[in-house]
Amino acid sequence: MNPVLQLDSIVKRFGSRTILDTVSMTVNAGEIVCFVGPSGTGKSTLLRCVNGLEQIQGGQISFEGTAVLPRSIGAVRKRVGMIFQHFNLYPHLTALQNVMLAPMVVHKEAKKTVEERARALFEKVRLSHRINAYPSQLSGGEQQRVAIARALCAQPHLLMFDEPTSALDPETVGDVLGVMRDLAKEGRTMLVVTHEIRFAADVGTRMVFMDQGKIVEDGDPRAMIAAPKTERARQFLSSIHG
Amino acid sequence: MGYTFTLRTIYPYLGTLWQAAGLTLALSLLAIVISIVLGAGIAILRRSHSRLLRFIGAAYVEVMRNTPLLVILYIVYFAGPSIGIRLSSFNAALIGLSLNSAGYMAEILRAGLIAVAPGQFEAAHAQGLTALQTFRYVVFPQVFRTIYAPLGNQVIAVILASSLASAIAVDEVASWMETVGSTSFRFFETFVVAAIVYLVLCQAVNLGRLGIGRMLFRQGAVAR
Repeated sequence: MNPVLQLDSIVKRFGSRTILDTVSMTVNAGEIVCFVGPSGTGKSTLLRCVNGLEQIQGGQISFEGTAVLPRSIGAVRKRVGMIFQHFNLYPHLTALQNVMLAPMVVHKEAKKTVEERARALFEKVRLSHRINAYPSQLSGGEQQRVAIARALCAQPHLLMFDEPTSALDPETVGDVLGVMRDLAKEGRTMLVVTHEIRFAADVGTRMVFMDQGKIVEDGDPRAMIAAPKTERARQFLSSIHG
Repeated sequence: MGYTFTLRTIYPYLGTLWQAAGLTLALSLLAIVISIVLGAGIAILRRSHSRLLRFIGAAYVEVMRNTPLLVILYIVYFAGPSIGIRLSSFNAALIGLSLNSAGYMAEILRAGLIAVAPGQFEAAHAQGLTALQTFRYVVFPQVFRTIYAPLGNQVIAVILASSLASAIAVDEVASWMETVGSTSFRFFETFVVAAIVYLVLCQAVNLGRLGIGRMLFRQGAVAR
């Protein structure tokens, strides 16, 4: 096994509220880990601690063998791509410019190389015809696929999706999930915070159920959905199955 | 009252008018540039983590917005020498006008910074951009778009406010108006001519700003 990410009893507090309560887990290369659970249980915060958008108050995170610390965060962020619930595309740049910015500015790659790769990525997310559009001219689903291309263009070793379809119209959710399925087939390592249980069952190689800042259950997605071991997971999963 | 309005009476003074208009323009444009730089510094102070720095920024803005420019010009020009700072009237006017305008510029820039969504900083940080790169490639272009229109108001306000420099003997357009009015006794004509000069200067600068804006911001890029 080849660990990409290791969380060792991490603790995250906002003031007196504990958001992550001594969470430990190891993610190996090629795993697609889906995080599920009630809102406010620290799933998104966990992702945000990995790339230093949040500081942890205790424990240790290591990514590809390097401790995630303020002084190493730049190197970690170069290898971790993040997709946000609200896309967070840069509104003053075209779709293509959004995708090319970080590889050119952060990774110092030549424009020609980056542009070739970016164009190939637009093909992959099926948006080649929208390459020169500004974010305001794109639908939510299109913006999220540009955001995925933007993350991919930096050639990350780990992709993190923070509720990627929660802000989308129902009819565009499928397009985004479709792109994510393609990525999963390529053997990428992915962390996905999602409420799409079907997606977790079909695509996930592992499901983590969190509640109140702790990992309550961690295992095979289909097995967990079919027969949750804990009462709390059973309640939650039956409530979102409807 | 047998007053006949004839602009012809002003002709002999037009030579000095062009010089005066040039001085008004130079004073205003320099003050605008300096006050944008100063204002940016103050806007950044106002977003600092330090309470003291935030206070200093806020205090600066309130002092400048709540004191007449004329008083500030007097302080810089007349009170300066008593603490050993002796300035030419042009330099004193430039400093006073810049200090005053910086208070307004700071507020315009601060509003522009607030308008940048927090998600923009997060996306840039997550991609590994440094603080400086985030500012240069992500934040500044968005702030610049947001403030471009209110900036136009402030630019015009500075040009008009520069007329107060006549009070500390800068030979700009308002000063020309007072001198020519009192030597020719054609007050009505000189006032009208001065008004036209300000109108033309402001409109020229504003049209220039709009033209540059049209070149910089292509369609679609403004809305978010």
